[in-house]
Amino acid sequence: MDWTPESKVLVQGINEPLASHYAAEMKAYGTNVVAGVCAGWGGEHLHEIPVFDLVEQALEEVGEVDVSLIFANPYWALDAALEAIAAGIARIILISSGVPPLDMVRLVKKAQATGTLVLGPGSAGIIVPDTILLGTVSPQYYSAGTVGLISRMNCPTYEVALALTQAGLGQSIAIHLGTGGIAGSNFERWLQILEKDKTTEAIILIGQPGSSNEETAASYIATAINKPVIAYLPGIHAPVGQRLEDATAIVAANLSVPAPDTSTAKQKIAAFEKAKVTVAKRPSQIPDLVTKALKKK
Amino acid sequence: MDLLEYQAKELFREIGIPVLPSQRIDDSRNLKRLQIPYPVVLKSQVRAGGRGRAGGIRFVENTIDAIAAARTIFNLSILGEYPQLLLAEARYDAEQEFFLAVVLDYKLQRPVLLGSSRGGMEGEVVLKQMQKVVVEDEFSPFYARRLALGMGLQGSQLQAVSTTTEKMYQLMLEKDLNSVEINPLGINANGEVMALDGKVQLNDSALGRHDDLISLVASSRGTEGQRGTGANKPTHLLRTWAPGHLCTETSAPGHLGTSAQKPPHLGTWAPSHSSDSPSQPRRLDWRDKQGNVGIISNDVDLALASWDLLSQEKGKLARCLVVAEEIPGNLLLTPSVTEQIGQALEQLLEVPETKVVLVNILCSPGAAQAVAEAIAEYLKPQQEETSAQGGEERQLSPTGTALRSPKERSSRSRSSRSSSSPKAEPQFVIRLVGGELDSVKERLVTMPVHWTDNLEEAVTQTVSLAWTK
Repeated sequence: MDWTPESKVLVQGINEPLASHYAAEMKAYGTNVVAGVCAGWGGEHLHEIPVFDLVEQALEEVGEVDVSLIFANPYWALDAALEAIAAGIARIILISSGVPPLDMVRLVKKAQATGTLVLGPGSAGIIVPDTILLGTVSPQYYSAGTVGLISRMNCPTYEVALALTQAGLGQSIAIHLGTGGIAGSNFERWLQILEKDKTTEAIILIGQPGSSNEETAASYIATAINKPVIAYLPGIHAPVGQRLEDATAIVAANLSVPAPDTSTAKQKIAAFEKAKVTVAKRPSQIPDLVTKALKKK
Repeated sequence: MDLLEYQAKELFREIGIPVLPSQRIDDSRNLKRLQIPYPVVLKSQVRAGGRGRAGGIRFVENTIDAIAAARTIFNLSILGEYPQLLLAEARYDAEQEFFLAVVLDYKLQRPVLLGSSRGGMEGEVVLKQMQKVVVEDEFSPFYARRLALGMGLQGSQLQAVSTTTEKMYQLMLEKDLNSVEINPLGINANGEVMALDGKVQLNDSALGRHDDLISLVASSRGTEGQRGTGANKPTHLLRTWAPGHLCTETSAPGHLGTSAQKPPHLGTWAPSHSSDSPSQPRRLDWRDKQGNVGIISNDVDLALASWDLLSQEKGKLARCLVVAEEIPGNLLLTPSVTEQIGQALEQLLEVPETKVVLVNILCSPGAAQAVAEAIAEYLKPQQEETSAQGGEERQLSPTGTALRSPKERSSRSRSSRSSSSPKAEPQFVIRLVGGELDSVKERLVTMPVHWTDNLEEAVTQTVSLAWTK
């Protein structure tokens, strides 16, 4: 994925206080925020960013954009995303959190049909250190380098970035998949992108303890990823409950029958080990694991 | 959140899924005014499963029996839950009982239809016969027919079951539900179906756009309130979305956050709104047995990472709070944040077992400074507030003044921490990255406060303090 400081960025729902704040932050980082969209605000400017009523109007004026960031009220996030897809925008980052899951089901189906890349909901966005900031990522923990981060967690990603930066290991990119139950894109999609990415030499996967996505990612890594991968699953040592994701497991729980295939912490770690992925116990271990993995290559 | 059976059945009735005539009973004496002819079945309205086996469902033939049975059910706790209401329902002669469900499958990211030709209370039997149809694309009735056929049904049964499944799906979509379950779905000699029990799980993040569901839930809460229990406080309702916050309704550019437009919502921080809807720290339900460490963080995932490290070092969590959650990314300096930190410290110290408080806040250097100030403000050694100018002097050096411990402060306030307890003062481990913290550190030099900018060091220190006698 070729992110450059020239990549053109649209902000939908720019009237939201959060959007306004981060539009300014992104601009200050050097991100090329070319337009904002909010119905009823067409013709205004915010932080010198022109605002349009409709996405298609914005594109008429500024040309094609590389990505749209959606900050809209979660109940309008689906509409905003569909508007972006209709206008032909190929990448969408849903910053809005709390998007109803059935809205996400519709969006995921639509995006699969159109080949649109959707990140989120509840995503902090993407950062390519020293190049581009997309979303609400805090840039101060990052430095440019060759380690790629893909994360389902928010702040623990900063802990990992901070540990790497302090050890002199910079990052090629950090991707926040978002914390929503139904996410627009998963680990596999981004592992594939980072496998091809020329700058990225090692990948760190930061996963949620209560979900099963990480195991799917582990089997994908075993078959499709050659670059070294290190996993960090903050919370896996804490006694938090599993989230039931599978329909049969959900009704089994209602019937007071033990769910057949809930994934335990042990199973998860075993899945990664099977895929030759080291699971870091703590952020401070990660720089060493990266260095070792890169030497082995 | 799960609806009670009678609430689920209200939704069934609305959408056209057959349900029996029934009446809500909130007091056993009201059975004298029962409109439904005997025999009836009385059902405890609890969310817990297994109420039938626990004795929460009783068949009665007359008023005297009904009143006695109702008294028993009202006093019967099912997995710790007492009913606030009973449902009195007509009896139904089912020839066969099926299981039907429509569930959002998070793994497949699709709704799934589930059906079993063996409905009822024997969970394992139900599951063994379970059929599953994934609604891959836009729903159409053939998905429901595919399920019914898979269940081995034919003729009028096939039609009746697939029509019911269609309506369940429609209900799920219309009301943004996580799941709709009918178990059992009774089917009589004429092939007519009847939803004999129902489970509906709402989706909390979608609830804000369904006023009817909010009032459905609130109506039962009202009854619960009258009965004087607070078992199911609707706290999550406070945190849900208010609908209709269209961007076209807000004020002009340049006046962000100053409009009178209500309400600010999740995922958004609204500086000027903070006064009329102050954010509160969120208390997570995490804890270990015999926990003595309190954690405050500004991100639920970071709190989890902290608990993870704590567990690895054999520390035990007593209570965990998340502050300033409404602000993703870098903490922004709003008065609400400062306030929340004070509230969170207070809430941790309410737990008498708390020996160490670990504050782990990851934010910009400027915000780190403000957080440190907020902590100092809460913990600072205080002057006796005797003189008139005391308020002003408090801003200056506290050297040589009488100290008042946080515990005493706390017990003086509304909180319940007992000042008579002879135990040691709680210790504080503060992890902040960046910021000019020296002056704050100096001010708290007499207090049991430990500073670090490293998470793992903070956890190690916390655990060693927690194990110190």
